[in-house]
Amino acid sequence: MRNAICTFCGNACDDIEFDGFVGKNLCPLGEAKFSAKQRIEGPVVNGERVSYEEAIDRAVEILVNAKRPLLYGFASTVNEAIRLGVILAEKLGGIYDQCSSVCHAPSTLAMIEEGIPGGTLGQAKNRADVVVFWGCNPVEAHPRHPSRYSVMAKGFLTKGRQYRHVIVVDVRKTATAYLATEFYQVKPGYDYAIFSALRSIINGHEDAVPDEVGGVSREKLKEFADILVNGKYGVIFYGLGLTHTRGSDRSVENLVKLVQTLNRHTRYIIQPMRGHFNVVGASAVAAWEAGYEYAIDFSRGHSRFFPSEFTAVEALIRRDCDAALIIASDPAAHFPKRAVERLTEIPVIQIDPHPNITTLIADIVIPSALVGIEAEGTIYRMDGIPLRVKKFKETEYWSDYEILKLMLDKVIRLKGE
Amino acid sequence: MALQIKNGIVVDPKNGISGEKMDIFIKDGKIVEEVKKNCRVIDATGKLVVAGGIDLHAHIAGCKINTGRAMRPEEMRFVRRKSNGLRAAVGRTLLTSPAIGYEYAKMGYTTAVDPATPSLYVIHTHEELDSIPIIDKATLPLFGNWHQVMRYSADKDIEKLKSFVAWVLERTKGYGVKLVNPGGVEAWMYGGNVHTLDDAVPGFGVTPREIITSLIAAVEELNLPHSAHIHCNNLGMPGNYETTMETIKLAKGFENRDRQVLHVTHVQFNAYTGSSWRDIGSGAEEIAKLVNRIESVTIDMGQPIFGHATTMTADCPWQFELHKLAKAKWCNRDIELETGGGIVPYVYRAKNAVNSVQWATGLELGLLVDADKIAISTDYPNGGPFNSYPYIATLLMSKKFRDEEMKKAHPYIEKATSLPSIDAERTIEDIVKMTRVTPARVLGMKNKGHLGTGADGDVAVYDINPMDYNSSNFQAILKALKNPLYTIKSGEIVVKDGDVVSEVWGRTYWVDVRDKTTTELIERDLEEYFNYYTVNRENYGVEERWLQNPLRVMAG
Amino acid sequence: MASKPVAGYGGVIILLVMKPRVDFEVNVEAEITPELAAKPFEEIKQFKVYYGNRLVPLEELFEIEKKGDDEILILEGDFSRVKWIGKSMEKGEVVIKGDIGAHCGAFMKGGKITVEGNADDWLGAEMEGGEIAVRGNTGNLVACPYWGNLKGMKGGRITVYGNAGNYIGEKMCGGEIEIRGDAGDFVGTEMKDGKITIHGNCGYVGGDMKGGEIFIGGSFEVVPAFIKTDDGFIGDVNVKGKGKVKALK
Repeated sequence: MRNAICTFCGNACDDIEFDGFVGKNLCPLGEAKFSAKQRIEGPVVNGERVSYEEAIDRAVEILVNAKRPLLYGFASTVNEAIRLGVILAEKLGGIYDQCSSVCHAPSTLAMIEEGIPGGTLGQAKNRADVVVFWGCNPVEAHPRHPSRYSVMAKGFLTKGRQYRHVIVVDVRKTATAYLATEFYQVKPGYDYAIFSALRSIINGHEDAVPDEVGGVSREKLKEFADILVNGKYGVIFYGLGLTHTRGSDRSVENLVKLVQTLNRHTRYIIQPMRGHFNVVGASAVAAWEAGYEYAIDFSRGHSRFFPSEFTAVEALIRRDCDAALIIASDPAAHFPKRAVERLTEIPVIQIDPHPNITTLIADIVIPSALVGIEAEGTIYRMDGIPLRVKKFKETEYWSDYEILKLMLDKVIRLKGE
Repeated sequence: MALQIKNGIVVDPKNGISGEKMDIFIKDGKIVEEVKKNCRVIDATGKLVVAGGIDLHAHIAGCKINTGRAMRPEEMRFVRRKSNGLRAAVGRTLLTSPAIGYEYAKMGYTTAVDPATPSLYVIHTHEELDSIPIIDKATLPLFGNWHQVMRYSADKDIEKLKSFVAWVLERTKGYGVKLVNPGGVEAWMYGGNVHTLDDAVPGFGVTPREIITSLIAAVEELNLPHSAHIHCNNLGMPGNYETTMETIKLAKGFENRDRQVLHVTHVQFNAYTGSSWRDIGSGAEEIAKLVNRIESVTIDMGQPIFGHATTMTADCPWQFELHKLAKAKWCNRDIELETGGGIVPYVYRAKNAVNSVQWATGLELGLLVDADKIAISTDYPNGGPFNSYPYIATLLMSKKFRDEEMKKAHPYIEKATSLPSIDAERTIEDIVKMTRVTPARVLGMKNKGHLGTGADGDVAVYDINPMDYNSSNFQAILKALKNPLYTIKSGEIVVKDGDVVSEVWGRTYWVDVRDKTTTELIERDLEEYFNYYTVNRENYGVEERWLQNPLRVMAG
Repeated sequence: MASKPVAGYGGVIILLVMKPRVDFEVNVEAEITPELAAKPFEEIKQFKVYYGNRLVPLEELFEIEKKGDDEILILEGDFSRVKWIGKSMEKGEVVIKGDIGAHCGAFMKGGKITVEGNADDWLGAEMEGGEIAVRGNTGNLVACPYWGNLKGMKGGRITVYGNAGNYIGEKMCGGEIEIRGDAGDFVGTEMKDGKITIHGNCGYVGGDMKGGEIFIGGSFEVVPAFIKTDDGFIGDVNVKGKGKVKALK
């Protein structure tokens, strides 16, 4: 199989060559993803092996009787399955939430406030002469990003590394910082203030900036602002270092405002470094089906968006869901303790190819085919570019789509719709 | 089961029927002469029976409208329908995909075309089109700022351009060729724009004039069902009507027996006189005269509706201007080698002089351009919601209604537009042309927009008698157009008494003209360009089997 | 805190008393206002509230006692999982004798809400008038606008005697907020008018502030887009703002 798409991170590299079990062009993270791993053998209900149909029947029974079932995960499956997940949540009167809510949700909230001046990764490759990595470390989290899209990429107009000014802003000297022309070390939690300071300088109000902001001197900030303004086409990539610190969504919003200001002088775009290979799809599908990207409650028969209450973590901590369907995710390993405690109190249904910590607390476990190897479908790269992941291995496992389709059909029948 | 629509008053201008009492029969999704047995009968005695409506320009799917939804939860809080039997539907002017299908059906429309998809994002566009219930649909890929198009246009290499157009339409399952601010979006990549048809595009040396005429030539030689479809340069700017007139004149060099050679879209936004926001006026009269005179050009209105809207277009430099003017949030997406897109929320205010000029200009076009050369549109959601078409039609049909509505608008329109002095009233037949016959002909969809044998079984029945209505009783007209007694899609009743009663799934039209050219001509260029894309050529585009219900059209 | 007679009702006091009857399986969305208290008792008992995806009569979840016809609601016990109390209320009074859930007093136009315990997020969101007093602490987003809306609090008064969370008075256009304790980050972001007073410490103050006044008793961090003046700061310069941030005297 040539030109297969790697289903690990938001890079969604589409040049993978598969030869049996080994893939060429994979980075270490992709290799780990595609190496043979333990699988869930078959559907299980309360410890007993059952058929797919029976497991789905039992799952539907739980979900239909719940007062507010939580449907969570989705960032590691295909849009076709996600769409059924959204419709299922609507028909059940439950919550649809996806992995964004614990990573780049602040970006959505910032977009709601100010919009996102963005572009495709190819814009960084072809045009960018200034590339900024703010609170992100692609060398370790998106290993092929620098060579395919940003730092060293050979573009149409910007031909390679020597034509780019690369800036890294972080709280410590990361691996990516070693690729940089300039590294600015900032105090944790001061990104918001630094964005305001840069805006003040660019807007001609140096006098509003104190001698030092977030560990960076005013002189350094002026030099930084100068580099930014003198770029012909700049791209600012940002990551969890920004979205997971103090003032997350407001910090991203302030970055957007900085980019708005920069566009009054030259051209700039920003791009969040998204984690899972289809976390963008899990947002987009929900938006066209229900109007919002995550934290959607359907208890009133239509969608409502309340990120302070209906994200999976909040709904669990607030004890506002009484059953959970977890698909392609491992909340028991990653959620805060109080949220996991609630998960252990309510019936949990899991759909996943591999066993994980959530499997241990799930009442019903339904194994699924591996997306991008055993099941095909559409995914969105971190910049939203849609790609079709391929199926090149036969399997006995049902795909996420098939499992959710039967669930939805049964729910609709039970509800008499 | 077959369907008989009995005793209705049929208005079917394409077949020369203007208000005859007759029966319409539908079998297997198509209009037939007659069905004798096993036929469900709908009584339409004294009611208007017409073909299903067609929207030839509405941004109903893809990354632009979807980013709009995500950035505007304030738009999505309006609840239209709860989930019971059918899907829940929400949205004020921006709608979810289920709501889009339902709202079209609820006004008797059965077809809509998305007019602008970035090809790199086309899988997404098709996913959304496939999530819109009821209506038939299609999408037009964007060509006007594509590096390869600009290069072939600069080289005047029409053969390669034809090959490229055919390749793109197949890869995208697209229906036609769209241009948005040709050259201007490429200039935007470094913060610029183009301002006349003869400005050189930075880095390419080509001019908008050359891009437009080259693409018209390619489309005509390939004989696509739909002509080149253009959003002109200088959209939104005072004085832009001159650029629009010049663009329209470019059609003069071409001819086509069946249809126009250039469709100029949402002309209202490109029909302003004046040199600033202070002396802006309407150039609609002059544009109307020109359009009526040149056989080979058609237009649509782009009517703004007072109230909320969300502007979204590939015209990035204009969107940045609007972001600054309206002091509103702004999404932008620069798309490698091809195009871009921008989104800015907007409110058209009746009390605002400029907005009122825009409102009046759209209506002037709707009243002054021949009904077989103009289609009703709002450039959804740029001018406002598409479900305001009944409101627009009623404004065009009733001078009294216009007078009432004009009272709400800014008095500046008396000075800056000719609307107050226009007494003309559109007939029902005119409206049927502007919402059915004309868009079907513009799009080259021969089985749509009429009720002749073999046409699609898409029918709307309204509670108004075309032979006996009073244009000053505008409330009655508006009510009738807003609440069809029936909307029938492919022979199925989908709307009864103004509400959706069942859901069917329409088709996606696309055009295959690969047999008119050969990809070999551009093979080496494609290989070269794919070095600069971040997606491999093998992963570019969409396969027919991924679509739910594709309908491949071979060009004539 | 003891239940005190409510001022202005001349001695005839408690009118509608509600207590949770069950341990809620999911949270309750009860969009009730004091006007409910004036309705016939049967109607009150049958008033529908959202219990997850079910609509249930009030009496299924709460013990209700009616003692008169004035528009006063007394909520006894733990209402921390009951949301939207006093939504859009125009007059009358709500007294909450314990904690209250999110969105309490959202869109409030008039009347008074007293919370004797703690309040959750979105207290007085997009409030236009009336008065809210919280004896304990509040969560995040006090008097903020809902996502995508352009205006926050427009009028009225909110007093929190304890501490408040992050985001206070965003896009505020009028009215007054007073926090007697400490507050979190982002006080008065994009504020246009009105007054916010924080007696204790807080984090970032005044980002993109256009107008209005913020007074702070303890420590705070003004964003680096304000010009220092004799008695405080003026900004935010990035939006040509004339907002004032001053130390509370």
